[in-house]
Amino acid sequence: MKKLQTLLLAALMLCVSVSLFAGGGQDTVEKDSETVKAGFIYIGPAGDFGWTYAHDQGRLYVEEKFPWLETVIVESVPEGDAVRFIDRLVQEQKCDIVFTTSFGYMDDSVAAAEKYPEVQFYHCSGYKRAANLGTYMGDMYQIYYLNGLIAGAVSESNKIGYVAAFPIPELFRHMNAFALGIKEVNPEATVSVKWIYSWYGPDQAREAAEALVAEGCDVLAFTEDTPAVIEVAQEHMEKGKTVYAMSHYSPMQVYGEDAAITGQLTDWGILYEQILMDYKDGKTGDLTDYDLLYLLKEEAVELGADYDNKINPKYVDMLKSTMVEDKDFGTINVYDLVMKRYDQMVQGRDVFDPFVGPIYDQAGTMQIADGEMASIGHLFSDMMYQIDNFVTPLPQQ
Amino acid sequence: MPFVTLPREKTTAGFTAAVLFGSLFAGLCAVGIVFLAYGVNPFYAIYEIFRSSFGSAFGFKETITKAVPLIFIGSGLALAYKAKFWNIGAESQLLWGAIIATWIGLNWGPHLPGFVVIPLMFLGGFIGGGLWGVIPAVFKVKFGINEVISTLMLNYVAAELVKYLVVGPWKGTTKYGYPYTDDLPDHALLNLLHHTRISVPLVIFAVLVALFLCFVVYRTRFGYEVRVIGENPEAGKYAGIDFFKTTVLMMAVSGGVAGIAGVGELLTIHKHLSYPETISAGYGFTAIIVAWLGRLNPGFAILSGLFFAGIIVGGDAIQISMGLPSATVNVFNGLILVFLIMGDFLLSHRVVYKRRAN
Repeated sequence: MKKLQTLLLAALMLCVSVSLFAGGGQDTVEKDSETVKAGFIYIGPAGDFGWTYAHDQGRLYVEEKFPWLETVIVESVPEGDAVRFIDRLVQEQKCDIVFTTSFGYMDDSVAAAEKYPEVQFYHCSGYKRAANLGTYMGDMYQIYYLNGLIAGAVSESNKIGYVAAFPIPELFRHMNAFALGIKEVNPEATVSVKWIYSWYGPDQAREAAEALVAEGCDVLAFTEDTPAVIEVAQEHMEKGKTVYAMSHYSPMQVYGEDAAITGQLTDWGILYEQILMDYKDGKTGDLTDYDLLYLLKEEAVELGADYDNKINPKYVDMLKSTMVEDKDFGTINVYDLVMKRYDQMVQGRDVFDPFVGPIYDQAGTMQIADGEMASIGHLFSDMMYQIDNFVTPLPQQ
Repeated sequence: MPFVTLPREKTTAGFTAAVLFGSLFAGLCAVGIVFLAYGVNPFYAIYEIFRSSFGSAFGFKETITKAVPLIFIGSGLALAYKAKFWNIGAESQLLWGAIIATWIGLNWGPHLPGFVVIPLMFLGGFIGGGLWGVIPAVFKVKFGINEVISTLMLNYVAAELVKYLVVGPWKGTTKYGYPYTDDLPDHALLNLLHHTRISVPLVIFAVLVALFLCFVVYRTRFGYEVRVIGENPEAGKYAGIDFFKTTVLMMAVSGGVAGIAGVGELLTIHKHLSYPETISAGYGFTAIIVAWLGRLNPGFAILSGLFFAGIIVGGDAIQISMGLPSATVNVFNGLILVFLIMGDFLLSHRVVYKRRAN
């Protein structure tokens, strides 16, 4: 009986394999020489309404824009497993360019760049580069700062909550920028953080948001790839309790018509457009120094909970009548303050940046010296602390 | 109900095989309906899955890569399932293997040569996975706690522990604050075939482990006891089988090989500990289907492991070339398992049409 089973299983494998080999010759995809083919490797599902969704919107934008561009995507690729997808994109799909859109793909991107010298790789948010491996990043810490100005101004309880994914520099940069905004307009207010240890975790995010509200927080911001936190705030609003939330990464206004005052938006399309134009113009021969960091100035990020309004129109009047004391502008309504800071930051980091010292961490250590502006390196790789208006401790180190 | 089910006393090899292939075929048909709903030609999609995993050179390399952990875990699960001990916790046993191996590699790796530290890591991984497997075994035999629940829940415990380690005490100093441990020293990693992620000794090891477990199940006293516990525990009691000892030993082995799979993944693919979902990619669950398709024979786990590795790899391909969502592979695996289990029911039961007595 066992023998027969073995035989049958083997026969099955054989049949399958034979039929497959017989169908060979379709291994590769045909394309003409003018067409540039770009492959995108995503960490989450393209419909996550967060990080991956934003990248996919960028991809659709460039695909629409450039008739010579063809794109393929592969989604939900686990970190540490990008190699086999890159192999397929290069060998079968004949991609000329591969975008690896998560930090965790860094080592795989380096290995792939070495393996396929004729293909160009662009790794998002990393720091390792090679002749055919460039890096790019769009960052919204400035937007978080603007969100913080509003959060600090509208909070009645002076408790502001943050639902956070992982304790990494990116999170601390955004949370600290947010907290700096709060501190600027409301030195009394404190920030509480709940870590959920997941990029995509609507259930945990919902739980964390509820817990923060129960602790008295009346403004929430978050880093997680679904609108769960916004929905929690909206539910409380509908029950008559005022809880505001800052939309994250994608236009989440529809999930919180009353709850979302504003939020952070990104436009990766601008970055992809730049990279692909550089490629087409032959400017990408050596990528060793090719590192695009796009901020507000480059229009890679935007303020708002949807693309039409920087501030939810429902709250414009309220913000215009909320007066705050500002160190640079004196007594000013928070709406004008946000717009003035926005205009400053659009001109570049040297005009205004929230990360100018003195900035102290929770332990009271001065992290950024008086009058000094944090370097990009400090912001993007060294920042592993919370500034002094956080009340929750750092996660276990 | 005009239909009644009666226990089936005897099955022939031919019938078993027919049911197995019938179930596979029915499963594929069900998958085909899903493809149709997506507007994709199901024949082409299924053809494409197998072509790109077994029918292309680099696809096949990836199939082997994915098959290695599935063979390790699947053969270990087959052993446990023989005793009707439903170990759903291979995922966490794998993680424990990776945890222990990471500790050994990071702490002892720098001071020991590769030929010492690599076997130590595998041994440590085996012990780590084994001990984690023993916990639900003790719970079940001593306290009568359902092992499905305990093994499943222990998955979360281990996953949270890994998260704690990588964001906390073990966080690497060279990883720019990201939640990974430092890389293991190069000499503590397995050598890979050029431009692949295959370690030939590891593949051979996986096959040997599966064959060895097959030998244990069918040719040793221990294996006999395991089977008796599964098929007729009452008879086992009268025959004087020590349930505690056998169950604990069996789960130590079942968990242990899952731990080895974790070490293998660590030393060929990841090179450092990171998020639990990265380290494992669901092998512990996919291997359940592997064990099942192999008719709970550890030896057959080699073939069925290869088969499901092919489906995973082929799933990537249809995702890219046909734009299907990545969840397609999960749907595929789930449907096949459902039909295999339904087929199993037919093997152990006869369905008889009963005329109503007037």
